[in-house]
Amino acid sequence: MVGTAYSVRDRLKGFLYMLGISFLVWLALTRSLEAQEVLVGAAICLVFSLLLNTHYIRLGLPPLTVKRAAFFAVYLVVLLWEIMKANLDVAYRVVHPRMPIKPGVVVIKTALTSDIAKMILANSITLTPGTFTLDVIGDRLLIHWINVKAESVEEATDLIGERFEKYLRVIFQ
Amino acid sequence: MRRLISLLLLLIVALGIFLCFSGASFGAEGASRAGKLTEDKVNFGRRYASRGLEENKAGNIVASVVVNYRGFDTLGEVTVLFIAAVGLAAILHARREEATPSKAEPASLIVFTGCRFLFPLILLLGAYIFIHGHLTPGGGFQGGAVVASGFLLIYLGCRGRGLRSAGVAVAESLSGLAFLAVALVGLAVGGSFLLNFLPKGSAFALFSGGVIPLIYVAIGFKVGSELGGIIDNLSGEAR
Repeated sequence: MVGTAYSVRDRLKGFLYMLGISFLVWLALTRSLEAQEVLVGAAICLVFSLLLNTHYIRLGLPPLTVKRAAFFAVYLVVLLWEIMKANLDVAYRVVHPRMPIKPGVVVIKTALTSDIAKMILANSITLTPGTFTLDVIGDRLLIHWINVKAESVEEATDLIGERFEKYLRVIFQ
Repeated sequence: MRRLISLLLLLIVALGIFLCFSGASFGAEGASRAGKLTEDKVNFGRRYASRGLEENKAGNIVASVVVNYRGFDTLGEVTVLFIAAVGLAAILHARREEATPSKAEPASLIVFTGCRFLFPLILLLGAYIFIHGHLTPGGGFQGGAVVASGFLLIYLGCRGRGLRSAGVAVAESLSGLAFLAVALVGLAVGGSFLLNFLPKGSAFALFSGGVIPLIYVAIGFKVGSELGGIIDNLSGEAR
């Protein structure tokens, strides 16, 4: 892990991503556009990005394009919608007198390759009630499912992962 | 030779303490003398609250008290933390030599990646808290604790990746020295330790409060690196 050489392009990408994200976080924290605040924030973000950009290089973030940003915005809406639907579904199972649950652990596959994409997929699955990512091993995700509808890898992938992954594939591949 | 030097230093410290306390009066005599002072001077709380803002121009009166009026006390607190960290390091270091190193199992990709993504942002939050110590609730100790929680996340998520101990040690020493240097410059310029000698600016702006933000940044670095060092020592123990 230590001593891996990164290309100039990768370094620049990690640096710019970190500069952008950390500066947005700074603006959100200060909620002010006063010159002093903005200058100090820019200086701190610059120093952090210079010192810590290896953290972001290894995430495997794709180059930023308008299409990717737009899809990410759409993805957030889709995620929110899925969370709402899953909430209602789990609430229904909880209040139903016979409690129709069938808990179990299934394996799903993912075509995503970068670390950050797999992490976002795993966390999206965890955020939707009813499914919970236990671990990510290679291209397989181990999922705890409150109501196992399909046990085979392909069917479970279609039911659990695909609704998120079709957007993530556009964003990250 | 070493003994002689330490004896000499001890004598100097003893002399200093003697000089400090020879003029002070304790017990009943001290109480009666304090009673004769005007209420404004004795009732510090009221005095700080009414005059603090105009004297130090720091929006957060608590920061003004902690770092300026009672700055000497804060220096002591930082020292206590330092001694605790040194003590822990000494104990753990002695034990680590005996223990056989065992390989920790790497964390899951989710934790690992999330920790990489969040670590710089946690450091940024810590920096934000200690930079705005003179304006908002929070300050050096809180900001430093947040910074250290970032190091804790590294320990949980990226096991086996020790902190760059040299950098942490340098930050720890320099920040402690910076606190003392600012305090001593006050002594040299205006004749009292921790004097707020810098231009104070206008209250509630980021650049205001004179030395208060400087000292809070130093405390933030100090506390962050010290708690980070403690976590590093403990994680070294676990490895």
